[in-house]
Amino acid sequence: MTVFHFFNCAILTFGPHAVYYSATPLSEYDTLWTSIKSAVVYLFTALVKLVCLATFLNVSESESDNFDPYQELLKALFGFIEVAGLYFALTQLTHRNISQNHKFQAVGLGWAFADSVLHRLVPLWFGARGLEFTWDYILQGLEANANLVFSISLAALGSLMWLRKNKPKTLIPIIYACAGIVATMPTITSYLRRGLGWHLPKVVGFELFSSLLIAFISWQLFVACQRPSN
Amino acid sequence: MANSQRRPAALDPVYYPVVALALILVACVDFCDAVTVVDVYRLVQYDLSGVPFGSRLATLNHHAGSSFFASSSTVDLSRTVLMLPVRELDLDLIKEYIGQGKLLGGLLLLLPPQFSPEKVETAVGRDEDFDLLRNKVSELERLLIHANIPYPVYFAFEDDNINAVLAEVKRNDASGQPATATTGGYKLVVAASDPKKIASPTITNIQGWLPGLKPDGDSSQLPTIAIVASYDTFGAAPALSVGSDSNGSGVVALLEIARLFSVLYSNPKTRGRYNLLFGLTSGGPYNFNGTQKWLRSFDQRLRESIDYAICLNSLGSLGNELHLHVSKPPENTYIQQIFQGFSSVAEESGLQVGLKHKKINISSPRVAWEHEQFSRLRVTAATISELSTAPELLEGTGSLSDNRHSVSEASIIRSVKLVAESVARHIYSQEGKGTNIFADDGSLAVNPSYVRSWLDLLSTTSRVAPFLSKSDPLIMALQKELADHTAEVNVQHETLDETFTFYDSISGRLHVYQVASVTFDLLLLLVLGSYLITLFSFLVITTRGLDDLISLFRRPPSRKVKAV
Repeated sequence: MTVFHFFNCAILTFGPHAVYYSATPLSEYDTLWTSIKSAVVYLFTALVKLVCLATFLNVSESESDNFDPYQELLKALFGFIEVAGLYFALTQLTHRNISQNHKFQAVGLGWAFADSVLHRLVPLWFGARGLEFTWDYILQGLEANANLVFSISLAALGSLMWLRKNKPKTLIPIIYACAGIVATMPTITSYLRRGLGWHLPKVVGFELFSSLLIAFISWQLFVACQRPSN
Repeated sequence: MANSQRRPAALDPVYYPVVALALILVACVDFCDAVTVVDVYRLVQYDLSGVPFGSRLATLNHHAGSSFFASSSTVDLSRTVLMLPVRELDLDLIKEYIGQGKLLGGLLLLLPPQFSPEKVETAVGRDEDFDLLRNKVSELERLLIHANIPYPVYFAFEDDNINAVLAEVKRNDASGQPATATTGGYKLVVAASDPKKIASPTITNIQGWLPGLKPDGDSSQLPTIAIVASYDTFGAAPALSVGSDSNGSGVVALLEIARLFSVLYSNPKTRGRYNLLFGLTSGGPYNFNGTQKWLRSFDQRLRESIDYAICLNSLGSLGNELHLHVSKPPENTYIQQIFQGFSSVAEESGLQVGLKHKKINISSPRVAWEHEQFSRLRVTAATISELSTAPELLEGTGSLSDNRHSVSEASIIRSVKLVAESVARHIYSQEGKGTNIFADDGSLAVNPSYVRSWLDLLSTTSRVAPFLSKSDPLIMALQKELADHTAEVNVQHETLDETFTFYDSISGRLHVYQVASVTFDLLLLLVLGSYLITLFSFLVITTRGLDDLISLFRRPPSRKVKAV
């Protein structure tokens, strides 16, 4: 019964990645290798980030009860290490036979999948198989869904920033602002949870909602940037 | 290029079901709390001459139920743990159930928080309700101790968490949905290994010696007065058996008397011509087995030098009447002397002391009072106690209801004064002269804070002898305390009479899990499946067009089917 629950949660956490890959033209163009490479880059980025966090951040005894702005600012700064990793994955990795559109999707997908495996698989394995039933792992699965959307949006914005040369000048600040918001999303959710004391369901709801909003905005930006070239 | 324009658009409608799902989940989250863990105390498990008694199992892993009848008669209770608050318990029903030997998955008895030894400070109104409750607990305890119960029985204290679980279980039962694997509910788990026999349990006697003054220096020629109290307990839940009254009050009184006489004896001018022997004996609930072994270890000369022995037993509860229990006929001159001494002091302090005579039946193994062990060896002895009749074997020696709330310091202080004064008058030959040696305002007054602190300590420490190791902190503390007041302290380790066998695992942690039903998981799988299928269809339609999706089903290309 509990293994069943674990199975359900795993489907919710990792299913959308597989569905996204197989349903979109990514599978037709065989971009799996790109995704794997970006996942490897993510692993390295996460390692670097971990080392930085461990070096510069204080370990507070009771982490969950208060929101320390200075520490969170530092964390947000280190969050930009991820952006640097994404920059590397988008620009430096050689992607032959892949259009720009597919490239950012593949990179974002690999990025999100590696994130899910790294952050959610182990808690899921140890938690969801326990006797006690909680909604936590289902919510965590939903969070993984939101994260997938965020990653792909960030990759899309990144590709706009770094790969597309002839974009309308007026849109550039908006692109950067959106990318900034997405990159600081972990800090925002952390603030909501600790600073405002939101419960997990509410936070996850916010994440899902904001991921949809960001996806919509980045889609609009993408369309707007594409117009001159068409 | 065209694909990329449509990709993010696909996300927008696709995630509406997710949001809806999230909202549904948020609505349900309220009544799902995390795992609850409570301390539980197992019913004692013991063999009496090889006959099994008490709860015979320790491992618990079943769904929770709330009453004998809530589930319909077809449902077997042998896989259900009944959670029964003692407050609402129907004693006749449980008596019948245990008497008929019907099987249960387990029994979890919830005691009101006032019975917890940890909560000494909680104020308890000395009202009738509480007295009724105490009687109920005592009766339940008597029932459980003398029954052989083939399933685990645990005690726990009511608190907010467990009450919430109980309310939920009751609601489920009332709605006609007994908790089984298919409908969800609560699961109670105590992970414990099989109870093991305690190999040769030790009982520890502590003896303190305060020598009297003899002009030529050899104190062993002097007569001796012994003051004895047994300190160990026995109760339905060994981990909760603190026995504040039986016999914590006796131990406190003994320590205070030892302290008072140590002050007197430290000055050569007031040092009496009697040796004083203080004995804290173990094995009290088991026919005073420790006392017997302690007395046997004396050499003949010491035993013969004992003028008389006073055993202190249950001196803590309110009431103006004490009883002096003796085995020799009341007409005996020594007994008369002791009784006269006690009653004259008692009269001055407004107490009543009655003399109770109970013959010893040598052929019966039962020893009801501690002094009987002395009497069997022809030593004059008496037990001073508030109890008028002797309790049965294993009863009245630290039951669940016998905690800090059932004793008062004032009674103990009064008893200390009574015993100390009458012994002191005997030592200094002041009988009938009305001198008040331990007057309240004098330097030899009884120290209430000393009495209180020891009473508080004993009221939070369970003292069931088989579960006390040789170097248990309590034994060390008693030894040290006696060493402070006497000249010489001896500790004697003995093995408990083999008639009694005990089993370990007396306490544990109860984990309460809320378990989801299989139907819920099936439903969840259905929802997730449809979510993924919808997501897939939307992504295919938006990035490749509807025709592609249809063609997928018409003649599935091998590469894509694998991925789905």
